[in-house]
Amino acid sequence: MKPFILFTAVLAVTASAFAEDMVALKTDLPKPLMVGTPVPISIPKLEAKIKKFPEFQVPAGTVNLAKGKKVSSSDNEPVIGSLDLITDGDKEGDEGSWVELGSNKQWVQIDLEKTASISAIVVWHFHSQERVYRDVIVQISDDPKFEKDVTTVYDNSAAGKDLPYIESYLGKLVDAKGTKGRYVRLSSAGNTTNKLNHYIEVEVFGKPAA
Amino acid sequence: MTGAKKIKLQNQIQNATVVITPSSKICWAIFIAIALLALAIRLPQLGERPMHTDEAVNSFITGNLLAGETYKYDPHDKHGPALFLFAKPIAQLSGAKNFSGLTETQLRLTPVLIGSAMILLLGCAARMFGFIPCLVAALLFAVAPLTVYYSRYFIHETLFVAASLGLMISGWQTLKENSLKLAALTGLCAGLLLACKETAAIHFFALALAAFTVWLTTDRKQFPSSKVIATSFLVFIATTILLFTWFGKNWGALAELSHAVSRFAARAGGEGHAKPFGYYFNLLDPMFILWLLVAAGIYSVFCELAEGKGRAPFALLIYGLATLFIYSAIPYKQPWLALNLWLPFALLAGFGVKGILNEIKGSNGRWFVAVAGGFLLLTLGAQTQALVFQKPADEKNPFAYAHTTDDILGLPVKLEEICRAKNISEPRIAVVMPDAWPLPWYLRKFSNVGYWQPEQTIGAADFFITTTEPPASLTNRLNDLRPEFFGVRPNVLVMLWTPQKSEAAK
Repeated sequence: MKPFILFTAVLAVTASAFAEDMVALKTDLPKPLMVGTPVPISIPKLEAKIKKFPEFQVPAGTVNLAKGKKVSSSDNEPVIGSLDLITDGDKEGDEGSWVELGSNKQWVQIDLEKTASISAIVVWHFHSQERVYRDVIVQISDDPKFEKDVTTVYDNSAAGKDLPYIESYLGKLVDAKGTKGRYVRLSSAGNTTNKLNHYIEVEVFGKPAA
Repeated sequence: MTGAKKIKLQNQIQNATVVITPSSKICWAIFIAIALLALAIRLPQLGERPMHTDEAVNSFITGNLLAGETYKYDPHDKHGPALFLFAKPIAQLSGAKNFSGLTETQLRLTPVLIGSAMILLLGCAARMFGFIPCLVAALLFAVAPLTVYYSRYFIHETLFVAASLGLMISGWQTLKENSLKLAALTGLCAGLLLACKETAAIHFFALALAAFTVWLTTDRKQFPSSKVIATSFLVFIATTILLFTWFGKNWGALAELSHAVSRFAARAGGEGHAKPFGYYFNLLDPMFILWLLVAAGIYSVFCELAEGKGRAPFALLIYGLATLFIYSAIPYKQPWLALNLWLPFALLAGFGVKGILNEIKGSNGRWFVAVAGGFLLLTLGAQTQALVFQKPADEKNPFAYAHTTDDILGLPVKLEEICRAKNISEPRIAVVMPDAWPLPWYLRKFSNVGYWQPEQTIGAADFFITTTEPPASLTNRLNDLRPEFFGVRPNVLVMLWTPQKSEAAK
């Protein structure tokens, strides 16, 4: 019996040395601008409206790697605002906090400068009114042109499995499942109010890859 | 001509006040040309802007009339029957037979034609207000974004403003000529005004106040005979009864009309549409250039009054100030109501131009005014191009109030796509929401569409359309369907529940 206990103890100590500590993902939320309290709906096929930021575990030491990083876009001359607003840390919904890109499909891309292990991506498109952005896709790659080794971590277009959702001040949390990559690209194709695309903030939570 | 005589004549010309009144034929040629310009500006892309909820409701009433139903007056936000009196024959002439066969263009043709004909009414008003003020007002009506926007909007407002101008002109001529025929015309215009919108009461009050003030402040001699007053009143009553009962087919409308007072008193409180006192000031002229002309016009009116002239302009000023104050004081405000204020506003701006021309001695100065006026019209035209044609439904457009967004145009397209894929020839569509408008307009081509309130028992359907919070009673029926969001207007979404892609492909 003693050798077995000893073996188990050694195994546990070894495993804990290799396993990462998991902590709850925390982010500062902007103040809500929409009037009324969203009501959760218990229909499986519908992306439920959420009342609070979801509980999500990330490895200890995870930080927002996107803060202050360079952003490029398919529309380099935004209608309103500038691309740097996407990673400036300001998540408020008022005018002056968001960038407005042209109509139909447009993308923004964040260069994390180094390959990183990405746990989660949180995006705020627009939250001063109830609207839905069409064909939201989030991808990670080491290729800045996104032509090879692309991992799609979220896709609510007709080709994807994810469901469309209503924008809110809580943002949209995407589980990136530890995908490794240097570039994060988010795309959308207009919204339910107009054909334009908007971004208030994008946060990329991860750790530089070992 | 000797040099001395020539100089004398030049001085006379330079010092003369501007009394430009062309011959009747030239005057009418000018107003007809402006009316044609107004028509040319209003006609393009008539069907492109999505249907506003109010337009959709009016189209439904028109569709019912085309299908042979009787008009039934409903004081709950649906206003009077006058619009449909014109819309039905115009839609019929353009080939429409029922609601599902109607198009945006067929319906919006009514306000377009009335808005253009309004210019000719301003031609009639030249006898009352003078040529220059009416010419300026006609040009502003033809080109300005506010008037062009709502002359392409299938609601009652354009007809209402035309009827109010008709009432002003006929009423004034009745006072001058004491004629029974003109008195009857005045009664007809007043009846038409009330049959447009119940808010005619505000205009009756403002016009009565203007007439009384003018009578009080001038010689107090002109007062219509009792026969004239009785004729106007009887024709007004007869027109009101005929129109509201839809020519005697629905007598219950008269009782409904009596309820309208309480309904509109409640509405005046705001009901979600309350806006600050100065809302219309900015809407009428965000650049505040026209307001300067209006200020000059008010000064000009008082100058004429001091000379013992200009009773009609003074009455217009009282009417304009009274309506501006009443509409601004009422918390309930909508941008299209500014059209009611635009009529005195544009005419007073015209008096401003007339006053400036009178003050300027010398042809060079008058040419400068003409060039500045041309530049102002071009600026207004550029605004019209942006607000009416480029971004007519944009939420930043001040005239696109709670407007239907382009996104909803995709909903019937999506339904048709899925029906083709699944071979559904007559899809059953259940719309479950407290307020479905303007969806009936966008679903009018589908023959099996039902509308339910969320608490009702909902019938069988192939497709469901709900708010973003579907009722619990639908939970099981929505489980196997895929939701898709569509924007109806800013901040209002609906969900179309369709069979999943794999099923649709089968």
